[in-house]
Amino acid sequence: MRSLLVLLAVLLAPLSPVLAAQVLRISAIPDQNPERLNRLYGLVAAELSDQLGVQVRYVPVIDYTAAVTGFRRGDLDLVWFGGLTGVQARLQTPGAVVLAQRDVDARFRSVFIANRQALKDLKPFTSIAELSQLKNKRFSFGSESSTSGRLMPQFFLAKAGVEPKDFSGGQPGFSGSHDATIALVQSGAYEAGALNEQVWESRLKEGKVDTSKVVLLWRTPTYPDYHWVAQGNLNKRFGAGFTSKLQQALLELSPDQPRQAQVLELFGAKKFIKAPVDQYASIESVGRQLGKIR
Amino acid sequence: MTPAGQMLIPALVLLPLLWLLPGAVHGGGLALLLQFWLAALQPSLDPHLLLTALRGIGVTLAIALWSWFLSLLLGFAGGLLSSVAVSQRLWRCTWPALLIRRLLAFPRSLHELLWGLILLQLMGLQTGVAVLAIALPYGALVARVMADQLDALPLQPIEALSTAGAPAWAALFTAFLPPLWPQVLSYGGYRLECALRSATLLGVFGLGGIGADLRLSLQSLQFHEVWTSLWCLAVVMLLLEGTVRWLQRRWHQPLGSVGQRGLELLLLALLLVLLLIPSAQLMELRWQELFSGWHWPASLPLWDGAGWIQPWLPLIGTTLLLTLLSALLALAITPWVLLLLCPWRGCRPLLQLLGLLARLLPPPLTALLLLFVLKPGLLPAVLALGLHNAGILGRLLLEGLDAQDQRASEALRLAGAGPRRSLLVAGFNTVARSYLSFGAYRADVILRESVVVGLVGAGGLGVLLLESLSSFAWIEVVPVLVVYAALTLIGESAADAYRSRLLSGPLPLEGLNQAVRS
Repeated sequence: MRSLLVLLAVLLAPLSPVLAAQVLRISAIPDQNPERLNRLYGLVAAELSDQLGVQVRYVPVIDYTAAVTGFRRGDLDLVWFGGLTGVQARLQTPGAVVLAQRDVDARFRSVFIANRQALKDLKPFTSIAELSQLKNKRFSFGSESSTSGRLMPQFFLAKAGVEPKDFSGGQPGFSGSHDATIALVQSGAYEAGALNEQVWESRLKEGKVDTSKVVLLWRTPTYPDYHWVAQGNLNKRFGAGFTSKLQQALLELSPDQPRQAQVLELFGAKKFIKAPVDQYASIESVGRQLGKIR
Repeated sequence: MTPAGQMLIPALVLLPLLWLLPGAVHGGGLALLLQFWLAALQPSLDPHLLLTALRGIGVTLAIALWSWFLSLLLGFAGGLLSSVAVSQRLWRCTWPALLIRRLLAFPRSLHELLWGLILLQLMGLQTGVAVLAIALPYGALVARVMADQLDALPLQPIEALSTAGAPAWAALFTAFLPPLWPQVLSYGGYRLECALRSATLLGVFGLGGIGADLRLSLQSLQFHEVWTSLWCLAVVMLLLEGTVRWLQRRWHQPLGSVGQRGLELLLLALLLVLLLIPSAQLMELRWQELFSGWHWPASLPLWDGAGWIQPWLPLIGTTLLLTLLSALLALAITPWVLLLLCPWRGCRPLLQLLGLLARLLPPPLTALLLLFVLKPGLLPAVLALGLHNAGILGRLLLEGLDAQDQRASEALRLAGAGPRRSLLVAGFNTVARSYLSFGAYRADVILRESVVVGLVGAGGLGVLLLESLSSFAWIEVVPVLVVYAALTLIGESAADAYRSRLLSGPLPLEGLNQAVRS
């Protein structure tokens, strides 16, 4: 019996190597295709590492909730959150700070798209009330916790009197990401869906959308969305003034420098700007209204 | 009704399913589904992707191995402590055993995915979470099986030893361990296969390993990449199942020389223990970090009366309906396909291949695929759970049929009976009881598993749970967990009652029998 215990102790002991030198762990909500995210955040990590002189590692996460949990737990130091997940994360993490947003994030939109074949009778519209045409259609959101792929679309749908239970099958689908929503609507698996305007525009530009199969129905009014959120203890861990250096590095990303230009292009932005915290009050109130923030 | 009849009767479940089908089909993504199956023939062979897949599988295997190892340790300890017979020897009273048995019911009552999601909140994003999430419920399950086995052993040997003056522990080990070995071996092997499936499933929910790759490439419709991971996983699963089966068979028959089995066992145990170290490194398992700094946000209340006000009746009703339909479907598929196709030579290999695929794909991913052609709702969830478990049950049935005495079916065939009749009379009749008994056990597992298809909007407790988790509404999560646990405990005793009625007579079949005793 004792030898068994000794064996166990020997087995378990070497599994806890001393923590390596301080590493800045960055992450992002998985809102697009993983290979794209890997490319983008690999570049971001390299850029930040060069500028700040610390090791930076990209930690991929598989769903939005895990990103929030990881941040709250302190497993992630700097995360590119959506509006809703950012608010959730900051509410759960005392001291967390908002560092920056893209130029497009203060006035962000979602788009509603439809499969041409399936919705022959539907034409693009401009009035929110016409969202009611989507009743009894097969409809897909993105991730459950996506701001532009679920929260705000659901909010606008509710304004037009469409509840989630009004869709065909008694509930909407959750495709998981914006790219998946496009693919599923294009294939006809869902008749309509809602997603992030910026992803839609950039896929259109890249020629990755078959416009003979998918059609844009409606653009939502604007709302604030994505933002970089950092832990409050970075100065303590990486030295005085680290947080502001980090913020500066993000704000100064410029299209004149090849790698930075690539980062900005993958983000679909011209530059990053400071993000006033109070603009997310509207997201928080919608989140509470729809039960995604308690 | 003849035993074979009882095996075929669950097919009645097809009636309500067929009735649901017309309302549920939309077929919009039929082309996608075809693409998915065609991609099986041309998995992506991109070296980078292959490397990622292999690494993912390595992590999944490492999680499976560690959780299996820990669950056996927990299970042996728990089994000894919760066995009435052992308790009587050691402490001369039974209440400690009964108390521990009650306490162990709780970890068992929650699916490993739920443990994973709860531990994730406590311990953060680490692969160790998946290991513990599987080890806890599995350990409690192994403990129960161990205790049942111990309590079923004859008491004469131990009494003889005690009378002769042997100390309590020594007497226990000498009298109880040797007769337990065969069961422990078959059951242990079966648990390792289960651990591999669970580790894959936990990956789907982001707790490490190949599951994540599977889900992400499926969601972004990169089917060629999906199949790269799937085929790699298939090879690993086949190898594991084959090895386990081979070892079980080898050790069940008397070997050449005395002590050879013991030696081989020792070697295998040593090999597995040695494998634990590299696998811990592969998945970056760090116990110190895992258990340091547990953290519950003060801002998230756990308890509030309002969380308890839920439409429990429809929630529970849907969950039970989902379980019942899936279990019947899982039971019905293999015997019927076998019966209908058995004159055809390719029947067995086809069933084996389909069964492997069904076991391979975690149910939530099957459900996602089904959503290409079905509306969200009960049906895709039933099909996903039913098919996955049919894969597991089917393999046992085929092995059971292979392992039984072939003379009866030979005789029938020589007497002029067709292949169907001989399969029914000689095959099904003998394996029916053990098949149904294992089916009852799987139904119990399906009840726990029903939470994992909450993704596809099957309704029931699973949907509420996943939605509450993504809203961080712990005041809702706690009541659902409590109700779920209560439900699975009731389900467990119902399945037990059915099994003990079914198995009250002597069991005719060796091969299936061993696995079924689990």
